Amino acid sequence: MDNREPILQVRHLKQYFGRKDFKAVDDISFDIYPGEVFGLVGESGCGKTTTGRAIIKLYNITGGEVIFKGQRISAGPRTFTDAIAAEKIASAQRTEELKKAGRTDEAQAEEQRLAAFIQEQKQAAKEARRDQKDCVKLYRERRQGEIRAQYEPKLAAASGEARHALEKERDARLKEASRENIVTKMQMIFQDPVSSLNPRMTVREIIAEGLRIQGVRDEKYINDQVCQMLERVGLVKEHADRYPHEFSGGQRQRIGIARAVVMKPELIIADEPVSALDVSIQAQVINLLNDLRHEMGLTILFIAHDLSVVKYFSDRIAVMYFGKIVELAGSDELFAHPMHPYTRSLLSAIPLPDPDYEQRRKRIVYQPAIAHDYSQEGPQFMEIVPGHFVSANSAEAARYKAEYGL
Amino acid sequence: MSKALEVKNLRISFKVNEGTVKAVRDISFDLEKGETLCIVGESGSGKSVTAKAILGILAGNSIVEGGEIIYRGDDLIKYTERDFEKIRGNLITMIFQDPLSSLNPIMRIGKQMTEATILNGRTNRKNAKKDYTTKLDQIEKAMSAAGCPADRVREQLRTFRAMAGEASRLESAYHLARDYADSAVLSIEQMLVDVHENDLKRMQPQFRELDEKIEKSYDPYLLPKGEKPFADAVERLHKAEQTYDGKDGRQLTDCLTALRDELKAALGRTEPDFFALGYTIQHGDRTALRGLDTDGMNALARPYLDERFMDGFLADLASALRHSAQQALPLKEKAAAAIRRALPVFQRETLDKAACERAARELTELTGRSIDRLSLHKNTKATTFGTTMEKNLRRYFDGVVNNPKELRREARQTEKLKRAAARKPDVGKVTPAVLVDLDLTRRNIVTAMEELAASYEQELAAGSETDYAAQAREMVEALRGMSYTMTNKVSKQAAYDKAIRIMEDVGIKEPRKRFRQYPFEFSGGMRQRIVIAIAVAANPEILICDEPTTALDVTIQAQILELINEVKRKRNISVIFITHDLGVVANMADRVAVMYAGKIVEYGTARDVFYHPAHPYTWALLASMPDLDTKEKLEAIGGTPPNMVYPPKGDAFAERNEYALAVDFEREPPMFQISDTHWAATWLLHPKAPRIDPPKSVTDRIRRMREREEAANGQP
Repeated sequence: MDNREPILQVRHLKQYFGRKDFKAVDDISFDIYPGEVFGLVGESGCGKTTTGRAIIKLYNITGGEVIFKGQRISAGPRTFTDAIAAEKIASAQRTEELKKAGRTDEAQAEEQRLAAFIQEQKQAAKEARRDQKDCVKLYRERRQGEIRAQYEPKLAAASGEARHALEKERDARLKEASRENIVTKMQMIFQDPVSSLNPRMTVREIIAEGLRIQGVRDEKYINDQVCQMLERVGLVKEHADRYPHEFSGGQRQRIGIARAVVMKPELIIADEPVSALDVSIQAQVINLLNDLRHEMGLTILFIAHDLSVVKYFSDRIAVMYFGKIVELAGSDELFAHPMHPYTRSLLSAIPLPDPDYEQRRKRIVYQPAIAHDYSQEGPQFMEIVPGHFVSANSAEAARYKAEYGL
Repeated sequence: MSKALEVKNLRISFKVNEGTVKAVRDISFDLEKGETLCIVGESGSGKSVTAKAILGILAGNSIVEGGEIIYRGDDLIKYTERDFEKIRGNLITMIFQDPLSSLNPIMRIGKQMTEATILNGRTNRKNAKKDYTTKLDQIEKAMSAAGCPADRVREQLRTFRAMAGEASRLESAYHLARDYADSAVLSIEQMLVDVHENDLKRMQPQFRELDEKIEKSYDPYLLPKGEKPFADAVERLHKAEQTYDGKDGRQLTDCLTALRDELKAALGRTEPDFFALGYTIQHGDRTALRGLDTDGMNALARPYLDERFMDGFLADLASALRHSAQQALPLKEKAAAAIRRALPVFQRETLDKAACERAARELTELTGRSIDRLSLHKNTKATTFGTTMEKNLRRYFDGVVNNPKELRREARQTEKLKRAAARKPDVGKVTPAVLVDLDLTRRNIVTAMEELAASYEQELAAGSETDYAAQAREMVEALRGMSYTMTNKVSKQAAYDKAIRIMEDVGIKEPRKRFRQYPFEFSGGMRQRIVIAIAVAANPEILICDEPTTALDVTIQAQILELINEVKRKRNISVIFITHDLGVVANMADRVAVMYAGKIVEYGTARDVFYHPAHPYTWALLASMPDLDTKEKLEAIGGTPPNMVYPPKGDAFAERNEYALAVDFEREPPMFQISDTHWAATWLLHPKAPRIDPPKSVTDRIRRMREREEAANGQP
């Protein structure tokens, strides 16, 4: 899996809120590979939803970067300002020491170095701002460049009629690329099927809205797409002219899915898509997402708190706790060998439809102050077994390895 | 075990524009004391409607078509709003799904928590006082009538009053102290965790709180002030507290553990016999009690009471009870005969209004007179007979006569439909003008009468064998209960203390601070805890939980479930738990009722339903939920639940059921009994039905559960 190019890279993502810097998401990093379902679990308020929203650019992120299909789509300014501030303090101290020691030359050099560093960081921040703002344009330019580069040797080799045909083909592709919008390649499905659909729009308008915003004017094409999508998600095209309130919860969630899928996305961020549904309907919606994923080659970031559903649906799972990822592993691996005490506590809280097991089940309580001793050495995100990452310090890592039987 | 609640043949429908939605169609279940019954089903299956009917909070357009909900010998269906006010939020409480909408946003949490306690305390005391006086008056009359000398009766009752009063005072104080001791144990446990974290700042207020609690838990019968080992433990703790600087908590931990163990030992001792103590203090040698432990006190006081007073009183009471019961016997005989005579009037095809009403009036009077006021076992059928008759008759006659508008509408619609049907067959249905099922109502009346007559006949047959001595003992217990409720005054301070204690019970940290906050300052899980605390604060007998954890995530859910279980165990509450999460059901349930389209389709213990599911709907539910080992495609239940305005013929689940037999579309299956504790309503259980096994995913899952079970048993 690791030799493939990830479709989404999240690097040191930070999302703080308010003047007091409430750390909703605090320095998390992960990759999502094409075609996989990546589960994100944790209790409410741990920052799962914020992560999803930050990735899809609903927030301006505080720090870190999000890279989608090789294009940086958001980057936070805090990374650079923090770096500058830290460097300034360190540098001032060094300069002071050097001055005391009477080595003025070196002190001056240090000051110059600091100025250069600040300049560099400011430049990086500027680039980040540009990426953040113009990622759509930049992605188009990059795609066009790629297409040109692709055709360059072919054009050089061909001549006459063939060359003309190739040029035509290239221009068509360039035109297509100039309309591509990287941000709409990511779509979101929301938790509450009632409040996420506009009650004053018909289903047709809801599903077609994205296409219209994209500038599609061909009514016949839109109509075809809407009907096709409705059938795809298990509704019939007669439903297109009804309003959301005429549907049951499960059907509304299907409309939400149709609205996302009609944009032909490559990544879907599903934020608790089944939590508000009845058991039997849950199964229908999960089956639908699973079918769509296999047919359309979708990648899904699946945010949920129902661990049995996440386990069933996801290939890899990341466990979040208070804005940090504490453990990340393949789903079978995570459930077979949970390492972090929080993951263990979470797994021990899942109720199963088995009365005898429930009688025996003992919930493990996670108390960070007791579970970890970080007074000597803080935790780092490290790989214990290939593909299995845990937030731990070296003593804990050694223990986890020993428990794993390594 | 005795039954806390019985639901019999309950039917509820809702009147809507298209007609009537049959929300609950003939369900019966019972709830034992101290057990949890889980009701499972999809939304719209009638789970919540059933729960709301128990609490008398059905929506305005609902019609209870029949059935009974028996609670404490009364039928809740016949309760008026005023009657409900006495039990709702007091004896039966409910926890709703959405913790936000069940709290008042502009009222501080503390106010919301103490409100019910104070209000209920006041009415409870008032009611208990009334009941107590009437009961004693009745007893006095009956005793005199039975031939006991009037002086002796007066003397006996005076002694009893004084004794019961004293006993109740002692017991109130004892229980209050006990609650404080309980909560002191809890705080110590919390403090032990904090000491471990060396959080000095957090510790300081806790020491003050603990002191306060210990001060309040002193009681001569629980923790006499100055009791040697306990006083020592407190002393040592104070010393350790002064030397503690937030660094080395070892000494403090030892002291806290010692204190906790002392408290636990005190709590573990036998409860004193307050009755005997009350008598001894009132009439006997109270100095003899000094210096004894509880067992010693009991051993001394009980025989004293029995010899001097109780044996004589019980004998007199028993003779009074016998007299009263025997007085009622001929009246009962007369009433039974009258009912049998009147039956033909109600068994006609169409009822005659004047004749029926006359007969009903006469019978009501007769049964009313035949009730034995002193009997402890209330004959529900007799006490509710009058209202049953009145209600059913009114429904029967008014349903037809007083609805000219409805009749016109029906005629109009039928006409319209006929015209439409000429062009296009199968266009729709007309809602009947008479929403009351006349046959059913008539049947209900006849059954009520027959049952009452039968119960009378039964009593007459058993008349001579009743053990009145045992009944007299029960009566004394009941009187004592009333006296206790009467004495147990709820002051604002007590309500505050109780609220704080319960907040601690449900795991809310810093309850004193939280007490003054508003609901929006709490997270979802915390809010749900508050709702549970409010529900539990009233000391209910039955707790109804309507999907209390559906909106919460796993860890919080687990905590809330543990909390409900804990509270249930501590207070011996019966719980009705409504959910659609089978994992939660497995965790909570003693017994399970699976509902579909307003009917119970499977009913049994948790083990029956999970390990030997019999109804295809239960199979489908089990198969549609992924568990941790599921790999294959989920078997979702196709389609949607039927529209209950037009309930389908035959089994309601047949259309979505891949195992449906032809008969499922024709006739409704009865409840087949599978074992002593397990029933299911499916034709598959009929002896002539083909043998069909549950789907593979279900059998696989059950096999996996067995393997897991064996593995767990193999390595204890």
